[in-house]
Amino acid sequence: MSVRAVWIISHEKGENVSIRFSRRFSTVEHRAKGLAGPSYVAVPEENTVLRLLLTELGLSDSDKSYVALRDDCFYRQRSPALELHVDGPGKGILWPVLAISQGPLILACLPLVDAPPEPRPPLANLLSVSQGLTLLAGLQTFLLGSGTKPDSEGLASRLATLPSVLLKVCPLGTPLDVPLLGAPATPTVPTPAGNQKQPAWKTGLHRGRAVVNVALIETVRSMQYGNQSRQDLWDVYGTVTCKCEVEGVLPNVMVTLTLPPNGSPLQDILVHPCVTSLDSSILSASSVDNCDGSAFSGPYKFPFSPPLEPFRLCSYTSQVPVPPILGSYKLKEEEKQLHVSVTLKLHESVKNSFEYCEAHLPFFNRDQMGIADVKVSSGQLDVSKEKNLLVWSLGQKFPKSREVTMEGNIYFFGPSPGPTDPLCTDLTAYIKLYFKVPDMTLSGCCVDQHSVQVYSSAKPRIVASRELHSKEYYIWNSTGTAPVSSGQMML
Amino acid sequence: MLMATNWAERVSAFSRSPSRFVSGTSSEAFLAELLRELRDDRASYSIKVLLLSPLCEYPTVLCPSDSVAEETALELMSVFAQCPPKFAEFRCHLLLAVTSVLICTSCVSSCSHASQDFLDLLLEISQDINDIHGDGTLHSLRATVCDCLRELEACCPGLLSQRLELLGGLRQQETSGLHQAYAGLHTLVLRNAVYQLTQETGAGAEHLKALLGGNTLVAWEADQDSGVMSNKDAAILSSLILGPMGTLPTLQTGTDCKELRSVLSSLLEESYLLTPLCQAALLHRLTEVVAMVPGVPPALLRAQLLRLLGTSEVCLLHATLLMKCAFTDSLFSAEDEAFILKRLVVLSQHPLLNTPEKLFYMDCILHFPENRPISGGDETLPVLLTPQLASALVPTVFNDSATMLARLNLLSLVYLEEVEEVEGEEVRGLAYLYEHLTSLQHIVENGGSREIVVTFFRSAFLFLYYLCHVERYSRSLVEKLCELYLHHTNLAPHLINLADRTQDRLSESDWAVGLLRSLQRVITEAPLAQLTLQDLHWHLKVLARVADEGEIPQQSTLGFLSGIITPSSSSLCVSGDWRLGNNMLAVCRRLLVHPSLDSLLIPLADILQHLSCHYGDTDIQDHARLYYTLLTTLSREKLARVLAQGAIEGGRQVEKPSCIMAESERLTRMLTIHQTDKAIFKLVNVNSQAQTNQENNLNPNRTETCPDEANTAVEAYTAQFQNPDFASEITLMFQLTHSGTHDSLFDELFSIRLHFTLTDDHYEELSDISVPCLFRERPSPILNLSLKPRRPYPTTLHASAIFTTQDGLSWHTILPDIHVNFQQVFLPLPTPQAWGQGSKLCLFEGLWNKISSDSGENNLAECATSLFCCQLKEEALVALVDKHFLPYLISELSTKDDLKVLFFLPPQSHVLLTIRSEEDAVHFNIATDNWQLLSHISPYLLTITSSQEDTHS
Repeated sequence: MSVRAVWIISHEKGENVSIRFSRRFSTVEHRAKGLAGPSYVAVPEENTVLRLLLTELGLSDSDKSYVALRDDCFYRQRSPALELHVDGPGKGILWPVLAISQGPLILACLPLVDAPPEPRPPLANLLSVSQGLTLLAGLQTFLLGSGTKPDSEGLASRLATLPSVLLKVCPLGTPLDVPLLGAPATPTVPTPAGNQKQPAWKTGLHRGRAVVNVALIETVRSMQYGNQSRQDLWDVYGTVTCKCEVEGVLPNVMVTLTLPPNGSPLQDILVHPCVTSLDSSILSASSVDNCDGSAFSGPYKFPFSPPLEPFRLCSYTSQVPVPPILGSYKLKEEEKQLHVSVTLKLHESVKNSFEYCEAHLPFFNRDQMGIADVKVSSGQLDVSKEKNLLVWSLGQKFPKSREVTMEGNIYFFGPSPGPTDPLCTDLTAYIKLYFKVPDMTLSGCCVDQHSVQVYSSAKPRIVASRELHSKEYYIWNSTGTAPVSSGQMML
Repeated sequence: MLMATNWAERVSAFSRSPSRFVSGTSSEAFLAELLRELRDDRASYSIKVLLLSPLCEYPTVLCPSDSVAEETALELMSVFAQCPPKFAEFRCHLLLAVTSVLICTSCVSSCSHASQDFLDLLLEISQDINDIHGDGTLHSLRATVCDCLRELEACCPGLLSQRLELLGGLRQQETSGLHQAYAGLHTLVLRNAVYQLTQETGAGAEHLKALLGGNTLVAWEADQDSGVMSNKDAAILSSLILGPMGTLPTLQTGTDCKELRSVLSSLLEESYLLTPLCQAALLHRLTEVVAMVPGVPPALLRAQLLRLLGTSEVCLLHATLLMKCAFTDSLFSAEDEAFILKRLVVLSQHPLLNTPEKLFYMDCILHFPENRPISGGDETLPVLLTPQLASALVPTVFNDSATMLARLNLLSLVYLEEVEEVEGEEVRGLAYLYEHLTSLQHIVENGGSREIVVTFFRSAFLFLYYLCHVERYSRSLVEKLCELYLHHTNLAPHLINLADRTQDRLSESDWAVGLLRSLQRVITEAPLAQLTLQDLHWHLKVLARVADEGEIPQQSTLGFLSGIITPSSSSLCVSGDWRLGNNMLAVCRRLLVHPSLDSLLIPLADILQHLSCHYGDTDIQDHARLYYTLLTTLSREKLARVLAQGAIEGGRQVEKPSCIMAESERLTRMLTIHQTDKAIFKLVNVNSQAQTNQENNLNPNRTETCPDEANTAVEAYTAQFQNPDFASEITLMFQLTHSGTHDSLFDELFSIRLHFTLTDDHYEELSDISVPCLFRERPSPILNLSLKPRRPYPTTLHASAIFTTQDGLSWHTILPDIHVNFQQVFLPLPTPQAWGQGSKLCLFEGLWNKISSDSGENNLAECATSLFCCQLKEEALVALVDKHFLPYLISELSTKDDLKVLFFLPPQSHVLLTIRSEEDAVHFNIATDNWQLLSHISPYLLTITSSQEDTHS
């Protein structure tokens, strides 16, 4: 349940690679030697690790189209654990190396194999693997934050604090916790009244007025084909994020999610470890199961004792009967021009009040746009000729009819070729929708602020909110072939 | 400040490569410097923290022996004692450094003095709950102390067994977040202690009770034989939960384990207060303990299950899976099992999880701990995983590569079972997977990224690996790949790799051969006119791989080769592109060992000959010639052996010689002839009398009359030259010997081919000489070098050789030049065998007369006479004749008359000497039918006579 080493590597698409931080845990290495016996492979020096890891991740020799060590079709890159093939004096295979890659950072670690080395034990038998994954994900969030764009200065300063961070979370190679986000709270030393033990995941105590903030965010994804032979797909998942400022060492809070009378049950519920207990009926519904009409449909009660920082209390998925926006996209190729015809319909159950709603129509593998002679029934159209992109801003509201259309011709005769994409060739094209609807969920799920219970002396202030986001919301041109996005519906 | 940056650089240089750093300065010196600086009051604590990292990360590099480690640890502890408590972080790092130093050397396991002291120090701090500063400094120190103790116990299991009760007490009384650290320590010590008891014969409930009750005396008595478990005993370090096939040590206690149960319950109750990482570790340790003590029912863990089954934390769910692995249906019902499996499927594709976690969950599905496991093998599907359930995990083109491959792998396994169940029927799932493969191929075709290309080939391999026997798809895949190849020939290495791997892994399938056969067909049938140089380059790579297959006929390959090199259709030969030539030769090389070589012999020889004569690169020409020679001179078996040996010894990889990497490596190593730095061997001239009667046997069957009259003798003699080959060659004998300094690499040389180059046009071109081997230890071989003069003048020959060393590499070397002296061109008079002395004298007279008259009559004629004089005593002259002229002497040596000597120089020149001793000097009357020889005769006579003068004066 320990890791032998941790590496943090920065790179720019495989170039300018460097190890920004590394830590070897010599005592774990000592155990590794004892456990593996003659099949022990020592962790090589930094440069070797770097080279082997990049090869394994397919990032080395980016100028060469085929490198046997990197591209062999037999390598099992489908596992989360990589093999590093160490050559030279300490020859052997270093396994299981875990790596998480995000943006410019690669975080890697080598969990200890606390099992007989031969035959190689399955990953599922090594608790150190999930521990390593948790540690890496924690370090990743600490270094990059939840945002996707890390600033290099911030990154550098956080890297500089890693030695003291690791002293707390993983002093000798056994991960104890993940680093706390943001500035470390001043270590408040609690003098707890009574015998109640303080949770180890709580760094201090809150003093002051109780405030509980519960935010419910639903995300809808969709693939619409407008095609008889292929079913349209959409799915919804929701997360409930809490920020609780409540006094006490181990205060009790309860958040209840409710569904409207005919709402379909929440599925695949995952809860934060601070949830103290769960009713088994809450976990019963699953998206991979046949839907059972008699399934439990709430109320979903989550009793918990909150940590100080914001956290994701739970997540769920839901099967809603219709997509919020139903689209139709038809392209017709005529000589040098492309005839475009789009219809978007907002479903009546969806609140017609957006924070934003945009439709993006990119065109690939064509010359640059010359003329875009396109009319929209509502909203505003921006044409980006260099990017071969139409951006249709629908604003805050659909018209009363809840239907908008776009019609027109686009001529591609620009001086240079436009953007390319290996997937979107010929008439394979899509519209991608970006929208956000405040104060609504598709599943109908909601957190009533009156249902939030805080078992403490002072009367808390409760804030509850909800909103709907789109993500990967695609409407494919029905006159072209569209890639399959899920086989579930077809099989 | 300067010092600070200096240290930061040095420490980072050390961490980057300790071996290189230590080779620059000694580890002793560096350690001494580190310790001195740590003691230095002027150094800042942030720098001091940095200085400890080499000791934490590489303690054995800095402390190569236990005694150094012991001293270092004591030193660090004294720094610790003197450091003010407010520098908490530095003090924590100091403890980590001491722990690392003591554990990694064998100080702890041998219970050294320092490690005893250190253990006492740690235990003392762990019990010091009076945080007098109230600012948390002691708090963090105690957290570190607990982790140091935990690591000591982890590395030396049993070290703290005697302190079990103490640790339990500390855990219980701690109310701050530190209880987590104590809990982790307590659980591990408990687990190790119970393990130790399982190893004791006769240990039971009482021992367990004593252990927990702090009655260490009793517990220790039972234990004293084993003491601290040796670190070498890997079993205690290993996880005890190893799946269905693992066996577990158990402690028979009966049902009365109240004390243990109460400890376990208390730990479990508080587990919720631990961070997920510590909670997972604790649950796992407790799982091990419960599994070792059958007296404790696993149901004890049930209260935690529901919370755990709903968790979003990967390590907590994993700990739960390991619990299921340990307790199966004694803790998990069939519904639980179905639920967990569904959970895993859901988690494997959950939009909120990161890719490594999803991959991990997929791995867990393939190693699902079933309540009733059927087999313990690698990657088996759980019985409950129906195709319907698995369909949530079908791969799509929107997946990242690893996810796509993991899903394809899983689904292939699912549909593989389905195929076996519903034979003959269309299996929709399978059709879907194939369709997916096709979509990927389209992306590759439309210029997908390198990553997509690699993923496509990996997908294809996985698909074939499981479903190769479904002919409909595997055959169609061949067609699709060929089509793909024709449009993207740069995919050749991927295709070859795919062929190699399917052949390796699916030995019973001939899919790879089918693919190669089809590739050969599309390459050789495509119109040559549209071929680009780049295409050709890849085609040749593929054809080379095709030629590896004995069962694939190679006629079309040869046709293709011959098509591209014939000058009328292309200028390839003229261009002389070395790489291209090399690729062609790679194909030829494989054809040379192809089983159907007999039927390929003539076209292959034609191609090689064409290359050797017309290819615009000498290196390629040479290689082609080498192959041509091998093909035309060696027997099949020998050829195969020679080339096979080269293939194995030349390349590093002993795998199939088809891997592109190995190919180029081997090509450069095997086919590129290496150049030696200096001469390896030389040719030493051997004086041999064999020449003397060499020509005597020329016409053994001729029964001619021996002429006794000058003119007839000349006529008969001259007639012999109507045959242009008559007496046209001289043969020189050489010994081939090693030269220069001794280099064992060249001790044993094989297949030496000597090549000679002329420096003038006096001689006909020389043919090469082959020598099978040259060993330093064995006698040098004697070589006959035949020269065919156009004009019999002295000359110099350049010599070079190609040979093979024992490791299979080919070498080219230059030999020292060979000087052919004037006298080496002399041959005895080539008269018919039957001629006696008289006839020869007649001939001499005839020739002499002819030359004298010719030279007199016509100045333009070739003939000339001359006179050379020198002072020689009688004996000296005899010795001279004896030494130099004997083979050429026409008159009797004993005669008082003039000595008559005749040198014949091929092709048809003669030098006649009449030597007469006058009073004052010896006169050499010279007559020759080639006046140009006179310029060589005089120096020759001068040389030999002066040497006689020296010896006899």
